[in-house]
Amino acid sequence: MKHLIPEFEKMKERFPAGFESSLVLPCLHRIQADRGFVADEDIDGLVAYLGVPRVQVEEVLSYYTMLRREGIGRHHLQVCRNIACSMRGAEGVIEHACKRLGVKPGETTADGKFTLSTVECLGSCGTAPVMMVNDAYHENLTLQELDRLIEECK
Amino acid sequence: MPRLTIDGREIEAKAGQTVMEAATEHGIFIPYFCWHPKLSVPGNCRICVVGVAEKDGGEWVEIACNMPVSEGMVVFTNSEKVRARRKATMQFITLNHPVDCGICDKAGECTLQDYHYEYNGERSVSVDAKVHATKHYALSNRIVLDNERCIQCTRCVRFTREISKSNGLGLVNRADHSLVRAAEDGSFANDAYSDNVIDICPVGALLSRSFLHKARVWYLEPTASVCPGCSRGCTVNLWHRRPEWRLKAPGMQAANASVDRVTPLENPAVNGPWICNKGRDLPKLLGRARAEVAMLKGKPADLPGAIAQARSLVAAARRPVAIVSSWGSNEELAAFKAAFGTRLEAFVKADHLPEPGEVVEDSLLIRADKNPNTAGATALFGDRAPAIPKDADLVLVWGEGLDFGLIPPAAKIVYLNAWLQPENGHADVFIPTSIQTERDGHYTNFAGVTSAFSKCFAKPAGVADAETLFPALAAAGGGAP
Repeated sequence: MKHLIPEFEKMKERFPAGFESSLVLPCLHRIQADRGFVADEDIDGLVAYLGVPRVQVEEVLSYYTMLRREGIGRHHLQVCRNIACSMRGAEGVIEHACKRLGVKPGETTADGKFTLSTVECLGSCGTAPVMMVNDAYHENLTLQELDRLIEECK
Repeated sequence: MPRLTIDGREIEAKAGQTVMEAATEHGIFIPYFCWHPKLSVPGNCRICVVGVAEKDGGEWVEIACNMPVSEGMVVFTNSEKVRARRKATMQFITLNHPVDCGICDKAGECTLQDYHYEYNGERSVSVDAKVHATKHYALSNRIVLDNERCIQCTRCVRFTREISKSNGLGLVNRADHSLVRAAEDGSFANDAYSDNVIDICPVGALLSRSFLHKARVWYLEPTASVCPGCSRGCTVNLWHRRPEWRLKAPGMQAANASVDRVTPLENPAVNGPWICNKGRDLPKLLGRARAEVAMLKGKPADLPGAIAQARSLVAAARRPVAIVSSWGSNEELAAFKAAFGTRLEAFVKADHLPEPGEVVEDSLLIRADKNPNTAGATALFGDRAPAIPKDADLVLVWGEGLDFGLIPPAAKIVYLNAWLQPENGHADVFIPTSIQTERDGHYTNFAGVTSAFSKCFAKPAGVADAETLFPALAAAGGGAP
């Protein structure tokens, strides 16, 4: 985490003095982007750097399911299962992805390549069903397209 | 000064007060879970809803804890709309609560239980299964947490952030998975005030491990007392068995004369609504093995005989010295002064010093002087450190904590102590004395505030009260009458 401190310093300039606790969330995001998850040593480092109570970092980490405490596969498939996507076939997408990858939602394939997650609304109901592969949106998803994406990532 | 009307009663509030504060100050009750007079206002429980009259004769509802008073405001605490909202809120708060009052230690002094009868009184209308959470979770080695009973009012969390400042607790996870948890850095286990969260918990979620399943609270009664743990002298309630609920089973008699738990006795002049964990552990301090038999040079003797022997030693002494206890009450200290005057050269000793690992001093309550009445004792006898002259031929030691090696070998020793300790046998005369829970009295704290403590139990048969003992010791010995 230490090598990110220059970036954190820049972020700090955007907040009034004494608002260190407001930096917990952006710093955790940056740490996760860097490492893929938030490790124990990152928490210790962030607590020391920001001077906030450790419990505050723990609360944020546990509140937001997007923040991870463990590493995941190289390709993170996040299938939306909110109402619009479900009505447009998301359940089938999830079932198909499970079969293709041999994992249940929340699990990572044995080769460490894929992690499958189900998520609530991705805010793209007009193009449901939607799946994210890492940071990219794949809209109006069909099972053929899903197969193609998985092949491409292999 | 805004004037407002609550339930038809006109009151004058202070500018900047909330409706809850103004109502409380004027003795008008509005129910609350998450609000606490000493903590910040999160407004999360919503049970303190009140109605506010609108110009057109209507009424809107808002939480009293977070609503500032304003001039001419008309507030209802018990309108039909308010009652309906409260009832709905109670249904919501108990949505996942197990309502297991029958096996809960908090029953009888539980806010949720009281409000349930007062404002709801109905079974849950929910058709969904209750969410299950961890039970018997060790929040620290002093406190057990039942997450199913928790209503997430966050009083405990705010206490550790705003009062004890340990930042030891937090609410992790989200929504109905939320759990109160201690920080992973162990700051809660080191919080010297952690047990206060048990008192401020409005439900049975946080319970004392040392008191767990010991007694139904209605079998106990509180006696007002003063914590002798340091010179702050926090006022406390000592809870012990009510006479009508005395245990009669063989072998249980000791439980009738023991302090089962200690809670703060709110006192704005000294400790506010808090005490430290050392105060909670008073039962250990007060439950130590007692000296109950007088001794002459280590051999058991009857009390009148020992008193007579001590009296003649004091009378015969040419250079008598007294080491006075800083655990004596003001009454006992005054009795000593009245009995002996300047006949004995008196020094005040510290009966207790900080224990290893104990918090010595902090900015909230804990004081470095671990004795309750140093101020009262030094006011009468000066604050010179005990320095026993080499030519002293009699030393009267009152209370524990003196190194007997400091006493000249030729001097006779008269020792008054309540506890069973090795020094007792080294005295020429040993007289057992009563402890704080066996008499009434007062202590004066470091700031000069005097607080009263009252008797909880009768003293053991062979034990003397220092207040009446001193005149008896001085009677034939001259000095003051």
